[in-house]
Amino acid sequence: MFLLDGRTDIGNQALILVLAAALAAFWLPPVASTVACAVAVLAFNFAFVPPRGTFAVDLHQHALLLVTMLAVSSLIALLLARQRQLAVKERMHLMRAEQLRGLGEALRDAEDPRSRGQLLQEALSSLTCAPATLLMLPEAPSDPADANACILLGDATADEKAGLWLSLRQSQAMGPGTGRHEEQAAWYVPMRGRRSSFGAALLPLHCMPGDAATMRDQAQALCDQMGLALERAAALQSAAAARDAAQSQALRNTLLAAISHDHRTPLATILGAASSLHDQADRLSAEQRRRLAATIVDEASQLARLTDNTLQLARLDTPGLTLHMDWESAEEIIGTVLRRVRQRDPAHPVKAHVEHGMPLLRCDAVLLVQLLDNLLDNALKYGGDSARVEIVAHRSADAVVFAVRDRGPGVPPEWRSRIFDAFQRAAPVKEQPSVAGAPARRGAGVGLAVCRAIARAHGGELTLRPRRHGGASFEFALPLAAPPESDDRRAKKSPPT
Amino acid sequence: MSLTVLLIEDDRELRTTLREALAVENYRVLAAASLADARALLAHAGETASIDLVLLDLGLPDGDGEALLDALRRERGIPVIVISARHSDDPKIRLLDAGADDYLVKPFSLGELLARMRVALRHRGTLVTAAVTRYEQDGLVVDLAAHRVSRDGADVHLTPNEFKLLARLVRNAGQVVTHRQLLADVWGPEYVEHTHYLRLYMAQLRAKLEDDPADPQLLLTEPGVGYRLAEPTA
Repeated sequence: MFLLDGRTDIGNQALILVLAAALAAFWLPPVASTVACAVAVLAFNFAFVPPRGTFAVDLHQHALLLVTMLAVSSLIALLLARQRQLAVKERMHLMRAEQLRGLGEALRDAEDPRSRGQLLQEALSSLTCAPATLLMLPEAPSDPADANACILLGDATADEKAGLWLSLRQSQAMGPGTGRHEEQAAWYVPMRGRRSSFGAALLPLHCMPGDAATMRDQAQALCDQMGLALERAAALQSAAAARDAAQSQALRNTLLAAISHDHRTPLATILGAASSLHDQADRLSAEQRRRLAATIVDEASQLARLTDNTLQLARLDTPGLTLHMDWESAEEIIGTVLRRVRQRDPAHPVKAHVEHGMPLLRCDAVLLVQLLDNLLDNALKYGGDSARVEIVAHRSADAVVFAVRDRGPGVPPEWRSRIFDAFQRAAPVKEQPSVAGAPARRGAGVGLAVCRAIARAHGGELTLRPRRHGGASFEFALPLAAPPESDDRRAKKSPPT
Repeated sequence: MSLTVLLIEDDRELRTTLREALAVENYRVLAAASLADARALLAHAGETASIDLVLLDLGLPDGDGEALLDALRRERGIPVIVISARHSDDPKIRLLDAGADDYLVKPFSLGELLARMRVALRHRGTLVTAAVTRYEQDGLVVDLAAHRVSRDGADVHLTPNEFKLLARLVRNAGQVVTHRQLLADVWGPEYVEHTHYLRLYMAQLRAKLEDDPADPQLLLTEPGVGYRLAEPTA
């Protein structure tokens, strides 16, 4: 400025001072920059404004210049200070929004929100710069007052625990500024759900922060997020429990229906034949006795099959069931089924066609045999001319299809969609035993239901397809699995020895 | 002289029924309701008469009989037939692997029981004496000593592994041989999980030895357990 002295007029020199003041306002707090400005104006007056070396001002225009300088510099300082304040607020705001968003995301991804308690604790601690303590209700809907079952994150004295519980039960915040228990040196913030609270947080206050209200709001928002997540988890849990209960109820109904509908008939026959043998033995001819005994044997095996099916149905309904999966050959499975059918009913041989070069199947052989055996049993009983019953296995694009076909009367259209449901006959649908005789089938209910359950347990599906020239085809498509590792051509031809 | 059977079964009705039915078939039957009973009977029988066969029900009130099986097989070489109430998830396969001769799943008919007993008794003592070396059924002749297989009089060529597999089944003809036993004996103990080998080789054997491989009469499958070569009727 001294360089410019004498070269420019005093007005231009003053502008430089204004520029310096503006620059100072960038970095200095508003008060400091205003004071610096005033000092600078006085110094300018002393050094440059004539008469130089004094604070006196000669001309009116110089006085005006000095006043304007002072005003403009102060104004700049104030504006910049305000701007800075706004920026800080904006940053805080952003940080809080980010905090909320982060917690929300973490809670959304968590199966149990309690596992994310630590995140909330960290967020709250960073808010008040003091370690926060969390209290959360346990997962199981046990007695909510059972303090031992609750989750406590952080440390709390007995008094503080009592405060947490009070806040939780009343779903209200406590502490300075909340209008409740103002004398406390901490905030107690409930984790509110829609209807009740699921926890509470303790935020110790070592010093009263400036914008206490916003900070408390932020704490409440964070806690509410956790509260809602906990409520959602509780709702999901009770829904799952209700579903399980309904499922086990349905299973119980199925089993009861199995016993009352299907098991009683063979039992009645067995009891009748056996008691006849027992009571009338002397008066029966040898031939009659032989026939009665044969009836008992037949009906007992029928009952054994029903029991197998019913138990299997119950087993397949169990959640978390593991099948005994192994590599099996379609040929062997069909061979086993044929042998069983032949042992049971030597008079009615069944034709089988297995496509050549079938891949190995990944399945539970016992279950698959049971499925096909049931289907063949049904076909032989209700599928008309037993000589035309056949079992077929062939390969489709991505599955192996097993089909049991007959040329019987088929299944009436109104039954097709429901025939796989266990105990359709128990449904309040008018029975039409005359229609193809299908609904009158004994034991078919549980038999086909277990077939479908087995098919589904293998990731496949059992379907009923009416055949073009009459008859029914029950088809089970078993999805193909990737072949076993060493099952390449080389291994087939020269296996390890 | 009639053969002696030790029947270990906890259900009284079934025990009585089987006991009478076996007596009709001219067996001498010792019946036990628990493992402890069975041990006592065995200790006693050791001094007086020998036991020729054991029918062991699984799921007895005092254990599943694995310990007893050990004593019976290792020390005395008595054949054991396991009677199981369940289709799967039970120790029957473990017991078969451990040396039980065969198994029956409840409910079973007397015919099935007698057939299994007959086979087990025929194989009695094969742990120490020479095993069955010749098998003849439905036109199939397997002569293990001569390493020859013929079908309806014509020689059948088998690869070494096919022959080993068939031979293993012939040695226990009529009895179930578990997947694990077959794999260990034919391929080696490190292959006991490779069931798919069995599927492939059994298919090849059936193609060479059966009239209709899809409806085998000789090489029978016991789903989930193993294989059984049909009992020779001769």
